Amino acid sequence: MSLPKGLRIRISLSFFLLLLLFSLVFARFIQLQVLESGTLKEIAERQHRKVLFVKPRRGTIYDRKGRELAMSIETFSIYAHPERVKDRGRLARTLSRVLGERYGKVKKALSRKTSFVWIKRELPDRTFKALRGLKEEGIGFVKESKRVYADPPLAPHVIGFAGVDSQGLEGIELFYDSYLRGKGGRLYGYRDARGREILFSNPGREATQGYDLVLTIDSTVQSVAQKALKRAVEEYRARGGFVIVMDPKTGEILAMANEPSFDPNDFSRASPSMWRNRAVTDIFEPGSTFKVFLAAAAMEEGKVKPSSRFYGEKGAYRVADRVFHDYKRFRWLSFTEVLQYSSNIGAIKVGRILGRERLYRYLRVFGFGSRTGIDLPGEAQGILRNGRAWTDVDLASISFGQGVSVTGIQLLTAFSAIANGGYLVRPFVVKRIVAPDGRVVKEVTPYIRRRVISEETARVLSGMLKKVVDEGTGRKASLEGYTVAGKTGTAQKVDHVRGGYLKDRYISSFMGFAPVEDPRISILVVIDEPRGSFYGGDVAAPVFREIAGKILPYLGVDPLYRGRPLRVRGVRRVEPVRASVVRDRKAIPSFIGKGVREVLRQAWDLSLEVKVVGYGRAVSQDPPPGTSFKRGDTVTVFFDEGIEKRTRIGDNVSLNE
Amino acid sequence: MARDRYPLRRLLFQFDWSILFLLILLAGTGLVALYSVSVSSGTPFYQKQFYFLLMGVVLFTFILLFHYHYLESYGYYIYAFSLLLLVAVLLFGKASYGAKRWLDLGFFSFQPSEVAKISVIIALAKYLSGRDVSRTGLTLKELIVPAIVTFLPLILVAVEPDLGTALIILFISGSMILFAGIERKTLMGITASILSFIPFMWLVLKDYQKERILAFLDPELDPLGSGYQIIQSKIAVGSGGILGKGFLRGTQGKLKFLPAQHTDFIFSIFAEEWGLLGSFFLLSLYLLLLLWGINVVRNAGCRFGAYLAFGLVSFFFFHVFINIGMVIGLLPVVGVPLPFMSYGGSFLVVSLVAMGMLFNVSMRRFMF
Repeated sequence: MSLPKGLRIRISLSFFLLLLLFSLVFARFIQLQVLESGTLKEIAERQHRKVLFVKPRRGTIYDRKGRELAMSIETFSIYAHPERVKDRGRLARTLSRVLGERYGKVKKALSRKTSFVWIKRELPDRTFKALRGLKEEGIGFVKESKRVYADPPLAPHVIGFAGVDSQGLEGIELFYDSYLRGKGGRLYGYRDARGREILFSNPGREATQGYDLVLTIDSTVQSVAQKALKRAVEEYRARGGFVIVMDPKTGEILAMANEPSFDPNDFSRASPSMWRNRAVTDIFEPGSTFKVFLAAAAMEEGKVKPSSRFYGEKGAYRVADRVFHDYKRFRWLSFTEVLQYSSNIGAIKVGRILGRERLYRYLRVFGFGSRTGIDLPGEAQGILRNGRAWTDVDLASISFGQGVSVTGIQLLTAFSAIANGGYLVRPFVVKRIVAPDGRVVKEVTPYIRRRVISEETARVLSGMLKKVVDEGTGRKASLEGYTVAGKTGTAQKVDHVRGGYLKDRYISSFMGFAPVEDPRISILVVIDEPRGSFYGGDVAAPVFREIAGKILPYLGVDPLYRGRPLRVRGVRRVEPVRASVVRDRKAIPSFIGKGVREVLRQAWDLSLEVKVVGYGRAVSQDPPPGTSFKRGDTVTVFFDEGIEKRTRIGDNVSLNE
Repeated sequence: MARDRYPLRRLLFQFDWSILFLLILLAGTGLVALYSVSVSSGTPFYQKQFYFLLMGVVLFTFILLFHYHYLESYGYYIYAFSLLLLVAVLLFGKASYGAKRWLDLGFFSFQPSEVAKISVIIALAKYLSGRDVSRTGLTLKELIVPAIVTFLPLILVAVEPDLGTALIILFISGSMILFAGIERKTLMGITASILSFIPFMWLVLKDYQKERILAFLDPELDPLGSGYQIIQSKIAVGSGGILGKGFLRGTQGKLKFLPAQHTDFIFSIFAEEWGLLGSFFLLSLYLLLLLWGINVVRNAGCRFGAYLAFGLVSFFFFHVFINIGMVIGLLPVVGVPLPFMSYGGSFLVVSLVAMGMLFNVSMRRFMF
């Protein structure tokens, strides 16, 4: 049958219309899926891409025996989306009660015109538990890492502290921040239109945990030093003071104590001046302790012998326009006695024999006027003017420790060169850097900067310094059963405002090492502005005695004359604990109690897909542990911290972001 | 009454086996796309759809057994029966999403409005094939019956409300009448009155319908509200790129950014996962099917067959074009499903019945 002409025409018309409309559709697909594809892909990514920033765990700081001095634990912080809070007054009342904050402050935070505000960070565990059940629109919790330090504080000035964002702010925390910090990781995931469930398809970049540090500090020694210092400072109502305990042969710092002290767990309560590690950052005029280096130089140059005699000028001696005094009207003194009784005039005369150039050179060689290179921040370099510019008065004053400024660490490092037979070492506090996998990244070996004096000079000088303690100004530092060499120092404080010296303001110090024959420790004690007594031999020497008397037996040094063998304590090696991964390929392991990151890593190893619901610690999973599975199966893991609110597209749900 | 004069051997020979193959490909693709949605949503759409597919295949085969002239004979009865069903759905229908569209038959519920589409085609084909339009086309008087045939079910469907189906009925009838031809002056008169009527239409539309049209004109007007679907659909399609994200790897669908993904927006899901290659494949299947349909119209054995076939081709064309046009943002969002792809039992069965009729006309295209 043939259709009427009109119909036939319209059939052809339909045919072409169809082709035309379909070409339009085809073209539109090319436009969307080829030309605009890039832009649309980006939009899609932005909608569903979820990047979780995983903060690295900050490394732990151990003492030399493996005891934790600083470590990071997990805490929660509470935040609010002020615009979503319904009843600000009521919520503010509840929060202020639980948090112990002022109502007005909380209310103000909740009324801010931003989409995000911290209400309180690093909640105490108890507070978090009280708040977590709170079903309020517009508030949420974020897990954060909090730094905790030994309590009572141990070497807070050495360790320093890290701020709320896990950033080292002082001390070792600052100096080794790049090691401790670690590297943040990223998890790439998807969020659905409700912004709730997050599906992770790959583990992204793992967070690299911070490296652990093992210090040279020994908690026991540190604790002894802190207590002894504190007692002295309190007894003499001093402004402050510090103690350094060093292994003279290696430069390892066993203890470094400062007064006044602070609690790094609550560092913001202390004034910033209290954070300073004065043993390293502050300079002072050393006074008589400095005579040791004059003596070392003079003997090394062969200019004087221990038996060389000097006239004490009955306690007053004029150099150019200045008259120098001794505390006693000395007449003839041997060189040994000059040190023993700490005669300034004797020292001046030795200095003159030595000459300014030589003295300057030796002082430089001993490390004065330059940093020791200790691995702590803010080290000062001290003040030692060029010897060529010294006047006669300068030479005279410097000979007994005036007119130069040193740091505590400089002084003790130089002094240790006499204890260890003439070597200038570099002091250090970090002994070992350990990666999270237990690999030792860096083992710090003692570093000898140079030989300063001959072994002979060191030996002879040690003997002279032993006399200082046995019979001279340093008698109060003597120990029963141990030989001690040392030198006292009593320096008037410099008046930085008016020039000259402050009346009745002294820095009393004592430095010593023991046992003399084979020194195991060198200690510097510096007390700032003691009241009552101010002689180094009275104020600082007993502190040395207390510390050395306790730690020498602890370090396993047998007292002489007693012959009673002491038990040597074994040193425990620190083995960082590693989470063992369940490798059973047949059954789904238990994820309960694990963090998101850990669950994902483990699942990745097993070729399991994970559907993550919430965050925090895993509380349940489906299918349950023990269920058999095959590659690519999906496990849904529920975590204890869900996001307590409804979200729509474009919401920024903050999860440690 | 026409008797089937074709021997079976001849019928088998004239059966369009290649087109049947296209149809199988299409239905298979539909199941694949639904499988993807089933996986991400956790509802086994593809299984249920498969059962409906089987039911449709039975009906498809059943229809092939009888000459399509039986449809002509019983055309008005079929039409009357479908009107009855439409009234029944308004009285006893099951409401969901604010519309009464389903009749609950116990073991499954179906949508009489889908049946209405086909019954209108049959009734109109019967009426139009009885007119002698070889001269100048239908007169205004001759348009009265087609108008009644069209608007009775259309109004009943619109009351449910089901704007998509109402529009489809209107478009199918319109195209069939235009295919038959209208007197020039009548055509101009009707065109003029329709144009003047459009502003009033706006007042009749429900708020959500107006929103959809506005959203189509400018989706950014309310990107999280009524423009949301259009934007999300475009993002899903476009982010698929040339090669697609891969089977079961679509993100926009999987993460539920795209609503109605198993029904009206199934094409977005498919295009996201299979990319431009997949889109072109599917479009080509539809295009080939429609071109074949037009050929069936051309070679139909009688005028009724031609009108019937034309109506059925229109049926498929409007569904395919409106649905895909909506998915890619060329047309406003109207609830029109995509044949053989969208989830929905009634529509799948009716689509297969319609296909059966088209095959029927094709098989029996020769007079002798």
